[in-house]
Amino acid sequence: MKIPIHIADESREPIYHQIETQIKTLIVGGKLAPGTPLPSIRSLASDLGCSVITTRRAYQNLEATGYIKTIQGKGTFAREVENTKMEETKQRAVYDAFEKSVELGIQFGLLEDELNEIFSSVLKENFKNEG
Amino acid sequence: MQTSILKVKGLKKSFKRFQLGPFNFTVEQGIVVGLVGANGSGKSTLFRLLMNIMKEDAGEIHVFGEKRTGDEWKQKVGFAGEMLGAYDFLTIHEIKNLISYWYSTWNEEQFENMIKRYRIDTDEKYEKCSKGTKKKVDFIFTLCHNPSLLLLDEPTAGVDIVSQRKMKEDLIQFMDDGEKSILLATHTAEEINQLCDEIIVLDSGQIRHSFNKDEIYENFGRLWISHVTDTMKNHPNVIYCEQNPPQIITNHLETIENILKKEQITINQVQRLLMEEVLEYLIEY
Repeated sequence: MKIPIHIADESREPIYHQIETQIKTLIVGGKLAPGTPLPSIRSLASDLGCSVITTRRAYQNLEATGYIKTIQGKGTFAREVENTKMEETKQRAVYDAFEKSVELGIQFGLLEDELNEIFSSVLKENFKNEG
Repeated sequence: MQTSILKVKGLKKSFKRFQLGPFNFTVEQGIVVGLVGANGSGKSTLFRLLMNIMKEDAGEIHVFGEKRTGDEWKQKVGFAGEMLGAYDFLTIHEIKNLISYWYSTWNEEQFENMIKRYRIDTDEKYEKCSKGTKKKVDFIFTLCHNPSLLLLDEPTAGVDIVSQRKMKEDLIQFMDDGEKSILLATHTAEEINQLCDEIIVLDSGQIRHSFNKDEIYENFGRLWISHVTDTMKNHPNVIYCEQNPPQIITNHLETIENILKKEQITINQVQRLLMEEVLEYLIEY
């Protein structure tokens, strides 16, 4: 089984953390429904080109925070996530995405006002039919 | 606690024109170690020493936590390294009868399944098989006695693409319970990428580098920078340098980023290296 995870080759974020965040997002976004089997740490490592040490670490963290569950001899599965945690994770994912955009802006030498302007116009563009 | 499936200490062997070792390394349980290096760097000799086909001059080899004595430990080891030559006048079926006799744990059903899976004609004489087919037959023989450690010397060399994929799947399946280990000599970046957790680089009989695969991902990188200075050109962590556009390749991103900051050189872009590129640098420099 394959799950849509991608390691960014231009990101400095540790791989285990990228895996963790992306699986959380898939679970919270409903793309991995509760009970859905996840690949074994060995096949995930093979798909991503990292070591099992890294995938094991990601799975251990996800297990500790209640996103997945490993059943001996059966495999690893997505778990039902509480509503509050669901909200938290969604907020976190969106926050991170904004942060990345701002970093790109800064890299291109944009000022705070200019970033703000872009942000407002993107918001306007997306919410214009609801206002 | 991780256990060492294979532990090599001070292993040495001298030949007239070639000195191997001293080697020190371990293969932990649940881990695949990739062995890379140019032709003639000593990979196959190392396998022969490990299998006790060749006698070492010095050093110790521990398998499954115990010093190798007798032949009993070989029951749990699968070795693929072109060793069937002496019996190549026999058919594959006849070789199978010979081999299976020696293993108390021989799994005939698994053998039948793999013969079908890799489309092997067992009535064919081994010597008449193509290079790729011989490799596949070697591979099947290493897996059918329920081994805990595989020693594979370029198992997919000359093997067709579909069978290569199947072999990769079989090895992933083999590793799935996390209790077994593989030492795999290979020349393909793809196998390193998809199968290995650790990498040992051999050069002229010596271990040149040894690390966890993710360290490569974290440490190697190509940086596009504002300008290249002499300090950068001569830094030991800079392994490649180009002026137009200014860029360097490093084997230690963190160190180099700090120095660039000090030298007031701007980093425009950082990119990880592909495994192919990294291996080339490791083998060549």
